[in-house]
Amino acid sequence: MNAIVFEDVTFKYSNLDEPTLSNINLRIEEGEKVLITGKSGSGKSTLAHCINGLIPFTYKGELQGRVTVNGKEPGGLSLFAMGTQVGSILQDQDCQFVGLSSAEDVAFALENDCVPPEDMGSVVDRALAHVDMLGHKAQPPQNLSGGQKQKVAIAGILAMDVPILLFDEPLANLDPASGKKAMETMIDIHGNTGKTILVIEHRIEDVLEHGFDRVIVMGEGRIVFDGTPDRLLAEDLLPRCGLRQPLYVEMLKFCGADIHEEDKISVLENTIKYKDQVVTRYLEDHFTDKRPDNKTILKLERVCYRYYKDDPFTIEDISFDVKVGEMLAIVGNNGAGKSTLLKAISGIAKYQQGSMFFEDSCIDKWTTKQRALAIGFVMQNPNHMLTKSMVFDEVAFGLRNFGVNEEETDRKVREALKICGLYEYRNWPVSSLSYGQKKRVTIAAILSMGPKVIILDEPTAGQDYTSYKEFMTYLDEIKKTGVGILLITHDMHLALEYADSSVVLSGGRVIARDYIDKILADPLIISKANLKHTSIERMGRLYGVEDISSFIAYFTRRITGGAL
Amino acid sequence: MSKSGSLYIERQSIFHKLDGSIKLLMLIAWTFLAFAFMDARVFLAMITLGLIMLKLSKLPNKAVWPLLVFIFIFTLLNSVLLLLITPEFGSELTGTYTKAAGIGFYTITYETIFYCVTLSLKYISIMPITILFLFTTHPSNFASSLNRIGVPYRVAYAVSIALRYIPDVKAEVENIINAQEARGVSFRKGDAGIGTRLRNYATVMVPLLLSSFNRIEVVSNAMDLRGFGKNKKRTWYHRRRYSKLDIAFAAAAGVVLVLAVTIKVGIGAIYWYPF
Repeated sequence: MNAIVFEDVTFKYSNLDEPTLSNINLRIEEGEKVLITGKSGSGKSTLAHCINGLIPFTYKGELQGRVTVNGKEPGGLSLFAMGTQVGSILQDQDCQFVGLSSAEDVAFALENDCVPPEDMGSVVDRALAHVDMLGHKAQPPQNLSGGQKQKVAIAGILAMDVPILLFDEPLANLDPASGKKAMETMIDIHGNTGKTILVIEHRIEDVLEHGFDRVIVMGEGRIVFDGTPDRLLAEDLLPRCGLRQPLYVEMLKFCGADIHEEDKISVLENTIKYKDQVVTRYLEDHFTDKRPDNKTILKLERVCYRYYKDDPFTIEDISFDVKVGEMLAIVGNNGAGKSTLLKAISGIAKYQQGSMFFEDSCIDKWTTKQRALAIGFVMQNPNHMLTKSMVFDEVAFGLRNFGVNEEETDRKVREALKICGLYEYRNWPVSSLSYGQKKRVTIAAILSMGPKVIILDEPTAGQDYTSYKEFMTYLDEIKKTGVGILLITHDMHLALEYADSSVVLSGGRVIARDYIDKILADPLIISKANLKHTSIERMGRLYGVEDISSFIAYFTRRITGGAL
Repeated sequence: MSKSGSLYIERQSIFHKLDGSIKLLMLIAWTFLAFAFMDARVFLAMITLGLIMLKLSKLPNKAVWPLLVFIFIFTLLNSVLLLLITPEFGSELTGTYTKAAGIGFYTITYETIFYCVTLSLKYISIMPITILFLFTTHPSNFASSLNRIGVPYRVAYAVSIALRYIPDVKAEVENIINAQEARGVSFRKGDAGIGTRLRNYATVMVPLLLSSFNRIEVVSNAMDLRGFGKNKKRTWYHRRRYSKLDIAFAAAAGVVLVLAVTIKVGIGAIYWYPF
């Protein structure tokens, strides 16, 4: 039976001129596992809204054609009736957690259904046990990590016992290992219950490694691909749509492998037949490994910080240095102390022990304001930084606060806007920019103050491959001007491609400081810091490559043209 | 205040076992009692009973004291103001005039001092039960308690949602302030004058409002998708059937309330002045 059918569906939001979905025809069978992917703005979220009933009930617009979910038309029912057919897990784990404890959040739908409290307990317990969260039953959301909150959300949907599960960007806010666990939970549920599973996600590799039946690729409001993962990976469609292929597929294609749907390369192990081709290529190709040894610009010595006097240290004994023109990635699991470390460096959090040196002078006594001029801090959410209405004023804001004269401000702002590719937007209102552009405005705003070190918290979170690549290219440009860049990331691919080296945090301590290819080749560090084995590493092991780190470095060097 | 922003303190006591709605009922009855009378004897009895109840609740003194001290200082200030502004008010009530102290035509009477003491006792008498309600009621029970005594569940749930998101919004405000500080905006004492700092706090509102609107949209979608508002009623995960204890306390609160009303209506509660 068809779980979901779209017949010639076109949808236009009432506040937009152009339709967001055009002529969608789609059939999803009961029990299928389907990945829906596409760039930001490709219409994939709108498609999801049509399935869970937010369209037409919450988001108004013109809907043409016919949508049926389990044989029923959402338009003829109510949003609540749709809730019994489709369970949605939203991208923002924090906002969708409405209860004051895990158990309450899971019970939320049952409460709304007037299930007597005596009957709720067992259902809630069973759902929580299913996602391995029963031990956190009474915990408030503040005590749970992003991954745990998401598990609770999944339990909440399981308690509703709906036939279709819809996940909207489930991996967006999770560290790599938690993301993997979330996917495994999903696959588990599918195995046990046979429910239809729809996942909307642009991190294709992280989803497909769990064995999906089908992929739908959206582009400009249309379906541009609908078929098996094997066919998708054999074709060259993903890069053309501005989406990222799995890393090992990029490697295969680079080595000239001839791939067909029948080769079933969505399973990494099936690529063993290309072993000779890839390994020969790797061994024949030589490149010199030049690793710059520049002057140190920022140095941390045994820095410790805790929020309250009685608490244990959140970060402890942190020592490392950043060189001129170096991009350093700070990686580690959620709660490892990465954000706290950035706050300590920027001076927002006053560390209790240890010292920091900027260009050889100790900056322990510097005020937050003094530090702001030397070390620029770009927060994760651009909306937290932007307060002016025009792009130019936003970028000039910091300089004006520091009393720089208008002439110099003007010059510096123009320069920063040019580096960030925003010069032609200087007279635009900030609100009319896309998320990725706003993110760049925040960089320009920091850059204009002329810092020699820039620190960024999750610079690419919430951006698709195209805008993230663009963004990282600008960062690379900034790096070349001699600025040291420190960034936190959960994205191993990003770290691999752009960072020169990496500091790995776990439990508030530095457990490794090395080149990223060395780190990603070390299984012990990977498991300790909740990182994820990249498919390049797994490929190297499958092919019996001896020096995994050099294999990873080779990939970075040749395929993505990244740092090193 | 704990990390979650609630005042709840976990202990094993009869008041912790009591349903939130019963405690709310007791609080209402107690408050009514306090406002219906103007009799120091009644207030002293209430304070004694309240303190015994506080003792039984096993709440740590450390948590209770600051609030008691606060209300004490508040009533003290209140009394001082009363004495300053209406130094002879007590005499108007009693009709007697006993001079206690005075400079020139400014005279404080013993009657007014007694009136101040009575008024202070009145405020203090409400304190123990309020503390009891706030500290022994699990935040999860607030909303359901309100709903149980007749507040519509949509309104009651708003309380729960506020409790849920206050810590998040607080974290967000901190984030925004940090982001602005990193760009040279002053929020700390010593960095800029009070006027500038206040103006700077105002700039925090723009990003805060925008992100709050966004949050509201996501939260309301999440609630809609899980059927909030589907039925005229809803059940509550944490709600239990009333126990014998609950019924006993509700009955006691009821009896006291009825007695109070009877006395008030029957005899009339006049201002008690023994001298």
